[in-house]
This record gives sequence, C-alpha cells and structure tokens, in this order.
Amino acid sequence: MTSQATTEPRAEILLIEDDAEIRRVLRTTLGAECYRMREAASVAEGLQQVHARQPDLIVLDLGLPDADGIEVIHAVRRWNRNLPILVLSVRAHERDKILALDAGADDFVNKPFAVGELLARLRVAIRRGTSVHRENAEGIFHLGDVAIDLSKRCVIANGQETHLTRIEFKLLQALIRHADQVVTHGQLLNEAWGPNHTEQTHYLRVYMVQLRRKLETDPARPRYLRTEPGIGYRLVTGQSD
Amino acid sequence: MLCTLVAVALRSKIELTSLAMIYIFGVLVASVRYGRTAAVLNAVLGVTAFFYFCVPVHDSFVMEDSSYLMTLSAMLAVALVITGLVDRVRAQSNKVRDAELRITSESMKNSLLSAVSHDIKTPLAAIYGAATSLLEEEDRLDRAQVRGLIGGIAAEAERLNRVVTNILEMTRLESGMEVRKDWYPLEEIVGAALSRFESALNGRPVTVHIPSDLSLVCVDDVLLEQVFVNLVDNFVKYTDAGTPLRIDASRTGETISIIVQDKGEGFPSGSEDRLFEKFFRGQTGGIRGAGLGLAICRAIVNAHHGTIKARTMPEGGALLSIELPIGGSPPDLTELTEGSTA
Repeated sequence: MTSQATTEPRAEILLIEDDAEIRRVLRTTLGAECYRMREAASVAEGLQQVHARQPDLIVLDLGLPDADGIEVIHAVRRWNRNLPILVLSVRAHERDKILALDAGADDFVNKPFAVGELLARLRVAIRRGTSVHRENAEGIFHLGDVAIDLSKRCVIANGQETHLTRIEFKLLQALIRHADQVVTHGQLLNEAWGPNHTEQTHYLRVYMVQLRRKLETDPARPRYLRTEPGIGYRLVTGQSD
Repeated sequence: MLCTLVAVALRSKIELTSLAMIYIFGVLVASVRYGRTAAVLNAVLGVTAFFYFCVPVHDSFVMEDSSYLMTLSAMLAVALVITGLVDRVRAQSNKVRDAELRITSESMKNSLLSAVSHDIKTPLAAIYGAATSLLEEEDRLDRAQVRGLIGGIAAEAERLNRVVTNILEMTRLESGMEVRKDWYPLEEIVGAALSRFESALNGRPVTVHIPSDLSLVCVDDVLLEQVFVNLVDNFVKYTDAGTPLRIDASRTGETISIIVQDKGEGFPSGSEDRLFEKFFRGQTGGIRGAGLGLAICRAIVNAHHGTIKARTMPEGGALLSIELPIGGSPPDLTELTEGSTA
C-alpha cells in the first residue's frame, strides 16, 4: 500500500455511481490512497464530467437511474480508446459483464467487493492507461519463476525451454498485453484466429489447457492462467498488489 | 358393444338374468371411468342391445314393454348412483391432494423463512451490533477491540453475501434456469473452482487427477463450476486444516465419473440420503449455512441429466460421486492443428 502514493501520486478518478453510501466508502478509501476523486450520480452527469475533467480513470456502476452504465463506455470509447474504465457492478450475470468488457471496459469488480481487490484492479487499470509494459529490454516477461521469451517464442520453466506454437504465442501475447485484467473469449479468439472465428470457443479452451501445461506447475490448479467462467481468462502476474 | 359380443356368445349357455349382469358390469365400468353421460348412454344402448340380441324370440323388439322399461330404469339407476358416488369420492380426494400441496408449499415457505431469517439476521445482528458499538463506544475501546469489531463486520458481511448468493441461486435454479452448454475440458472447470479457494484451503493439500486425454464435456461452465465451488466450500467448512482432498475423473462409455473425496470425518451417519434436500443441515457444530449448497449441486447436476451421490467411506472421509453424460459427440479438433500458415 505504501508504494501507491509514489507510483500513482495524484491520478484523478471519476466515480459514476448513484448510491450515496457506496460513493462515501469509495471517497474515503480512495482518498486515503491519495487518489483525487470526482463523483457523478448518473450517466448524463458522468459524461459531462468526463469531458469537463478529463479524468485518469473511470469507476462505473452499470445500474444508473437515467440510463444503462454501458452507455458511458460506448460514449467514451468513441473518442478515447485509452481512458481506463473499471466496472463496478452488482449484476451477477456473465452476459452483462461480457457486454461491458466487449464494449471497451478494462475490467470489472463485483459488488459487494473487498477494498483490497478494488485497489489492485485500479492500479492495474491505471498502469495500463499509462502503457507501462513489464517485459524487459530483451523482451522477456516474468511470471513468478517462469520466463516467457517473446522474441524467441518460448517458455522457460524449471530450467526447461518449451517452444510455443503460433496460436499459443498469440494468445499469451494478448494476455500479457492485458496482464492482470480479464480478456473475454471473443477478444482472444479475435486476436488468435481473426474476426471470423469468434464463435468457436472450445478451440480456445483446448489451447488454454495446452498453455497451462507449458506454464503451470499444476495445470489443474493454475496460478497464472486463470479462468473467469462464462467470461474469459485472466493472466495473474502476482504483481498487482 | 363388448358386452353384447360377450352376451351373444354366452346366451345359449347361461340364464338370461346372468346375461343382464354383463351389461350392468359395462355400465359400472363406464360410470367409474368415464362419468355420467357415458354411463347413461351405455345403460340405454346396453338395455336395447340386450333385448334385441339376447332375449328369446331373438332379433326383435316384440318383448313386453314393461320388462324392457324395468330393466332400462334399473340400469339407469345403477349408472346414476355409481357416477354420483364416484364424483363424490373424486372431489374428496382432490380436496385431500390440494391440502397436501398447500402443506408442502407451506412447509417449504416456512423452512425458507426460517433459514432466511436465521442466516440473514444473525450476521446482520453481528454487523449492526459491531457498527453501533463503534459509533457509540469509540472513545472507550482500545485499538485491539476496535480492530476486532471491524474484522467481525467484514467477516459477517462476507458470510451474509454467501447466504444471499446461495438463496438467490437456488431460487434461480427452481424458476427454470437457462442452461448454456458448450464443450469444455473438465480440468479447466475444476481449476477455476479451486483457484477461488487458495487462502481458504489453508494448507489443506488438494490433488487433482484428470487424464489429459479425457473427452471434452458438454456442460454449462458457470453452473458446473458452482458444483465444485460448493463441494470445496463444504470441505473447507467441515474439515480441519491439513485434511487432504482428492478429485478424480474418468470416462466409462458416454459418461464421465467424477469423485471428490476427503479424509475428514465424513457425513453424519444416516444422513446421506437427506444431504441433497433443501435446508437440510448435517451436524452443524456451530458452522452456519442455509443448507443449500448440496441442493444446488443436485439441481445443477440434474439439469445436465447426471446424478450426484454421497457416502461416508468405511475408513472415514466424505465421498461425493458425480456421473455426467458427455452430452453428444465432442467437436472435431483436427482443424486446430496449426498448418502451413504458421
């Protein structure tokens, strides 16, 4: 927690949420983490603030009084592809999350949420917004004891080098680009096979099983390549906290 | 018609009165099975046919009118009395059935209410108590006490969330859920469930044996993951730290068998059949829950046309076995092979 004040000193967060109590909890918590806070209670007010304030990140509730929160995502993405949007939602249904993610949201946090989880997701989203890549100069990305050599397209785990197939590499590349964030099935299929294959999710799953065998010590209990059932995958680097 | 055939066949062998009985029998059957109109019709037709075919001076209506009328009215009386009796018995039994249904749904509602009121109000009471205590007694509490109360609020809120989620899930399952099936590697679904429990497993060793060439299964991943989440949640709740858990899967014909077993104390003896009932709670030992976890598991497995059973191993330890149909012929994955385009 101590490093936050130095790494993201004064990022400005716009919170679009209609519940006053949730706003209060977040204002207190995020304020204590040195984030500057702006608040809006509706889609209209939120969009107005987005344009007026140009925040560094949006925390967005989906169930807003005047319209669906997804309208904010659509509107923002029309003119800004990089502004991070974190969805905060009580909706448990996977379809709502996929809609929000495919519309361009960066990630989601379910209500009720633990503040620690919210802060971790916020840091990841802000880092992505400022496009800091974590592979080093030689193009090596580290996942715990596992090294992924992006230039040689191989994985080095337990001192052993394993070659990645073309598709495996594309998938891993996409996941690394969105490290610690959820990537939907549709987005991954599009990355690896192109826009005409977004329905054949079982291919994707079989590839993810193969990738886990190359990356994970115990593929049935993955540490890095996590499944978000009904939604997609998340590459957990363990560096977001 | 049937009566007439039988009567004509037998008319030379038995007496006239006995033949009439055959028609009465026909009227009886019609009264019991088909109601008043059919019974009366049967009586009229029966008597006419009886006199036409069976009474001597065969095949004519030159009989005395009085005996014809008497037989006819006797038959009609039989038809009316029997149908009246049958109607009354039916009405009675309907009433009993309605009452039974009302009682079942009443007791369902009661157990839901008592589960809801206990499992929601208890954590709420703890949260409310701790929060008001913090508000009013703040100056008189030391740091450790404050932290204790705050920790309690967080833990109870999390528990409340679990209870509410389970109740909502059960309600959703019962109101006819949508099962969105696709082909999944079982390994991925089990893995997704296990990764939710990292810290909660608290050092309990878990081993998973799923053959790497096990067929894909056609399931709803979100629902099936919930089954494993509930099973592991029970394991975490009801076993001591350090207790091992094992998950095995194998294929027999068109079925995938999954065995989830631990080395804990097993189920309370005699409760194995009731475990999957809603609101049934085994020895709780102070562990809270709405008694919905396994009921949800069964509802989900049933929605996949599978079965789930529980037993305690002779050497101790709980064993849950799930049989799941593969659900068709898995998709051909040969297209997957990365060809020359690489």
